[in-house]
Amino acid sequence: MTQPAATTIDRWSGGTCPFDAGWRKVMMWWFIITDGLLFAGFLGAYGYARILALRWPDQSTVFSLPYIAAMTFVLITSSATMASAVEAAKEGKRRLALRFIVLTAIGGAVFLGMQAYEWWHLIEEGARLNTNPWGDASFSAYFFLLTGFHGSHVLTGVSILITTAIRTAKGWSTADGVEMAGLYWHFVDLVWVFIFTLFYLL
Amino acid sequence: MRGYWITWFVLLVFTVVMLWADTASIPRLAFVVFMIAAMLTKASMIGANFMHLRFERASLVLTVIVGLLVTAVILYILIVPDAARIHEMVVEGGQR
Repeated sequence: MTQPAATTIDRWSGGTCPFDAGWRKVMMWWFIITDGLLFAGFLGAYGYARILALRWPDQSTVFSLPYIAAMTFVLITSSATMASAVEAAKEGKRRLALRFIVLTAIGGAVFLGMQAYEWWHLIEEGARLNTNPWGDASFSAYFFLLTGFHGSHVLTGVSILITTAIRTAKGWSTADGVEMAGLYWHFVDLVWVFIFTLFYLL
Repeated sequence: MRGYWITWFVLLVFTVVMLWADTASIPRLAFVVFMIAAMLTKASMIGANFMHLRFERASLVLTVIVGLLVTAVILYILIVPDAARIHEMVVEGGQR
């Protein structure tokens, strides 16, 4: 005898999952929402400071935009390799999943290296948290804080990826575990899309 | 897996077009509108395809959209009126 499909209301009232997702995925999404709001507030404050600034520098004279585009390329590519890792893990192809996870971690490490070089270059040119040679002081403050906060997320992501790679190599990780690492990594990529557009291009 | 690489390619095309727009002489308003539209399209593609939101139950998708996007938009709507008249406020206050 077939059972009628449960509606969302049935699921709530029965204490079962209304989202049709495991607790780990739901908790990861909760984290992404709250962390995303933190970045949203940060970018809102940046917009406010930019309107308040009397002289905001022309970004194309401060940054090498092709270099920033290369950083974006690395991050987007690492997101595609991570998505491929999740799919391979779901299909039970452990070795393929491991290969893609390692590639993603390498992409993250390359991004961090490029960001470190960008920071070093700007610091050499006189950029500090409270001053810079190009215009309003808040320009460099927001540059270091926004990219630094994002970079700390990338560093965390690389650590998670290395842990996931080790667990996958040893056969300890589940497809769910790889998917959670993937969700976090895509979130890091997602935030960069906003920083790249709002801070570097607009 | 092929779908992810198609998404990757489209994201790259968007990035290149955005860089091109940055060097082209486009009126400021059109430039800002284009950049924000391209940014939101890229973000939607990452959310839908890489983060699998398009395969999730509507209740989860709506929770994410309302929780993140709508709250952020409300935040900006609350900030914009003050931000837009900040210089006026500075003059009224007599100091920065």
